[in-house]
Amino acid sequence: MNVNEKFSGIRKGLLEFLVLQIIAAEKVYVADILKQLSTTQFATQEGTLYPLLSKMRREELLDYEWQESEAGPPRKYYKLTPKGREQLRDTLQYWMEINDTVKRLGQR
Amino acid sequence: MNKVITINLGGNAYQLEEGAYDLLRGYLETAAARLRNNPDQEEILSDIESAIAEKFRQRLSGQKTVVTARDAATALDEMGPVQADAETGGAAQPDGPGRTAEPAAEDPAKPKRLYRIYDGAMVSGVCNGIGAYLNIDPTLVRLAFVLLAVFWGMGLLTYLILVVLVPVARSPEEKAAASGLPPTAQEFIRRAKAGYYEAVKNFQTHRQGRAWGRWFRWHACAGANPWQSPWRGGWAPSATGCRPWVGFAVLALALLSGALTIAWLCALTSLLATGLVFGLALPAGLPTWAAAALLLLIYGTLAGSLKTARWLSWWCHDSSGRPPAGALLAETVVWLLVTLVLLLLAVHSFPELRAAVQAVPGVAHQATDAIQKWWQSR
Repeated sequence: MNVNEKFSGIRKGLLEFLVLQIIAAEKVYVADILKQLSTTQFATQEGTLYPLLSKMRREELLDYEWQESEAGPPRKYYKLTPKGREQLRDTLQYWMEINDTVKRLGQR
Repeated sequence: MNKVITINLGGNAYQLEEGAYDLLRGYLETAAARLRNNPDQEEILSDIESAIAEKFRQRLSGQKTVVTARDAATALDEMGPVQADAETGGAAQPDGPGRTAEPAAEDPAKPKRLYRIYDGAMVSGVCNGIGAYLNIDPTLVRLAFVLLAVFWGMGLLTYLILVVLVPVARSPEEKAAASGLPPTAQEFIRRAKAGYYEAVKNFQTHRQGRAWGRWFRWHACAGANPWQSPWRGGWAPSATGCRPWVGFAVLALALLSGALTIAWLCALTSLLATGLVFGLALPAGLPTWAAAALLLLIYGTLAGSLKTARWLSWWCHDSSGRPPAGALLAETVVWLLVTLVLLLLAVHSFPELRAAVQAVPGVAHQATDAIQKWWQSR
């Protein structure tokens, strides 16, 4: 079992956090999110992302609006709600703590 | 050369090869099944359709206007399998094929269950369901029921009981359990096509013709003996004198029974659809089911006497005391032909009747659902 497989569960859990972070930076549509993730360890597909976004919207972490595009039909652009920003802040905080723990433990 | 199917994806028309269409339908049906418990199922599916449309658009140009099966396969591969639950779904492994474990719903040892299946059903899906359960052509099951109803009246009763007791397969999983097959999309497509084919083919095909023939020969052998013994002694000796009117009698009686069958069918349909029998309201306090049973009783009595009369005519015709096997067959065929011709004539000459016949499957579905609901609410 290589590292990639070992971390698949952790990646799954972190995907929501990363999506929050991407959307926090600017209003994006799904293809943007996929493109930003595609070069990372978190590359994913529409089949996974749409259900995740819909769940996050149900939890009121994000919202979307329709915007016309130059090519093709209008697209859904996602943005964070105040609750989403709060959640991102908390998660980021927690992630820093985990990071510190990883660095600190075992060092004398 | 491939057939092209035009579809609407996210508000735009796309032309797909048949193979591409099958793939897409399979993908969307699997996605719909996995998102069954998701409150946003509709919205996610429409998002996914739009995303697929965009991928198709990227593959088309001025010269290339049709999405091939290969295009569809790569586009759907890029989409990735739709995750049942965002909690369990996640990032695809960048260096792997990107397939996570299938959800537990696809248990290979899924038990078979008897369901009624509306896809491609003629009346209420009972025969369709039995056919799927036993893995035989539903047409054969229908034939069996029709024959049981015609010759012994048991088929109708059994059918009504099954309508009440057997649930309808509505979800893809239930439809899969109805035939004991895995709920894969390809299989649904195949079954849907088979069902469609089932609904549109008529009784004039060779295969069905042969099936009818087999059934009638079988019946002629099985049915002859019980009829022979009670009448043999009394009628055979005096039979020779009545030959001249036998031909007329048989024809007249067959016409009469045909008309009776049609009248009964019309009465039953109008009873179920409007609650009236030939414009007459039911006596106060008589429930619809009792009226239907009464109609069946009246029909059974009249049809029974007519049948006996027809048999007697044949007995008169043949003084040897043994009805020829061909006579039994001919008698039934005459009755069927008369019924069919009368039915066709009626449907042809009355547009309302034609509309009513076309509405029968829908009405039957509603009626059987109502019966089942009433039964379960008790």
